[in-house]
Amino acid sequence: MGVALRGAGPILETRGATARFGAFTAVDGASYRLEEGETAGIIGPNGAGKSTFFNLITGLVLPAAGSIHLAGADVTRLPPHRRVKSGLVRTFQLVSVFDALPVLDNLTLAVIHADPSLASGPGFLLGSSRRGGLEEAGVAALDRVGLSAKANWLTSELSYGDKRKLEIGIALALRPRVLLLDEPFAGLSDHEIAEVLRLVKAIQGSLSMVIIEHKISHLLDMVSRLSVMHEGKIIAEGKPATVLEDPTVRRVYWGGGQGRGLVEARGTRKAEA
Amino acid sequence: MISVVAYGLTVGAILYIISIGLSLTFGTMRIVNFAHALIYTMGAYVLFTMLRVTGGNFVLAAIVGVAAAVPLAWAIERFVIRRLYGQSIDYAIIGTYAVLLIGVDATKWIWGATPLPLSDPIGKYVNVLGVDLPVYRLVVIALAVLIFAGLELFFRRTVVGKIVVAGLEDKDAVRSLGIRVDSYFSLVFILGSCLAALGGILYAPITTIHPYMGTHVLLLSFAVVLVGGLGSMRGTLVASFALGMVMAVTGRVWGPAAEAMVFAVMAVVLVLKPIEV
Repeated sequence: MGVALRGAGPILETRGATARFGAFTAVDGASYRLEEGETAGIIGPNGAGKSTFFNLITGLVLPAAGSIHLAGADVTRLPPHRRVKSGLVRTFQLVSVFDALPVLDNLTLAVIHADPSLASGPGFLLGSSRRGGLEEAGVAALDRVGLSAKANWLTSELSYGDKRKLEIGIALALRPRVLLLDEPFAGLSDHEIAEVLRLVKAIQGSLSMVIIEHKISHLLDMVSRLSVMHEGKIIAEGKPATVLEDPTVRRVYWGGGQGRGLVEARGTRKAEA
Repeated sequence: MISVVAYGLTVGAILYIISIGLSLTFGTMRIVNFAHALIYTMGAYVLFTMLRVTGGNFVLAAIVGVAAAVPLAWAIERFVIRRLYGQSIDYAIIGTYAVLLIGVDATKWIWGATPLPLSDPIGKYVNVLGVDLPVYRLVVIALAVLIFAGLELFFRRTVVGKIVVAGLEDKDAVRSLGIRVDSYFSLVFILGSCLAALGGILYAPITTIHPYMGTHVLLLSFAVVLVGGLGSMRGTLVASFALGMVMAVTGRVWGPAAEAMVFAVMAVVLVLKPIEV
């Protein structure tokens, strides 16, 4: 199914990945590497191309140039759902859960495709989504993010923080090898941030992660490596402390008219280009 | 009074059966599908031919008519609509409209342009509060309600249904679950097309079969979809019966205004509740 998951070298790599929308270049020749088990961060002002970079990696946007490699295999032309089956999973900047479904069903849909053994028999897809192994697996995944008490709520009734936890629960239910988190703390209260942080830290090391975040203060104690994107390009990369002292980075954040401090910069829910 | 209500409900039932497919296609694929009208027309024509072949077995002829929509819808989806994904919505309108025009001419070529009358397959009447109503129309109304209940069950209980509901909300998020969402949308497209054919079949005995019957009903169906909310299954049901009643009541007062009133209602709804696409 797709890609061999073992191999030497980085678990995720982009080589000169470029995304264009008409005349606008959203991501411009981004070359990026993520090692197995590593947690890395990407920061950058709004519109820097961070989310589009995730869209390139996951296949929601096809690159105009460059290539994307997962565990050594070229996945540049692989459709998004096949990449997920190869272990590449993401969350979205604007929390992406299914409001019209009950909470539990969000996870049911995720566990079916992560564990084909749950889907047995030809009548499976037309059968109930609430039976035996399927329901159990869903509840277990829900338990992991502390939402099993709300299994039968309609998802639209959840708070934004709970939706974010649900989204992370869905991502984990897909059994990722590489997890891409797009501003996981955006729009959350301090208390909710602490809960999400706890979830993220609990899985750290057991998989490879890339986190896009505006709230750099939360990133610093999680990531071993930080990359900065600006106008579609990766302009700096390295140890977080070193990167934040980089003159170019300081100019982009403080001199670029953003008017916000690096560490204090609060995540906004503003949609990115 | 009773007959006006019965007529309104019958028209509403037919509108629902046709419009649900149109609404789902728009909600899932973001495609305005003019070819839906062709499937509706073909359903009626296949029924006509099958009635002759089977010697008047309406149920059997209807089943064949609905089944005939499957390969036709598959071909339209595979060779026209799938090539229009991600393109401007205008191309979908032009592309599916071209399919409709070709189909209408093909219909004339095969069956001729003369309207074909069909008799009431049941032919019995039942007395409701002193008014004789055709049993057939009551059956049509009951079928629409059954289809609604069936679709509700399908979308609320089954795995496929839930994937489609999730896809209506956010296609990319479903892809990100490792689900090939487009195949499920194709399935919905074929299901909706079968219902369009059923709509044509059920309406044929009430009116006449002619090559432009679909083009005509499609405009009403668009009004239903817009009033009910694009991709909204319950909204489509409510809008169908509401607009069916509008047609029946207006038609009773002043016949020529019946359909114009549907679009007047649509305009008012659009002003009060603009569409978010």
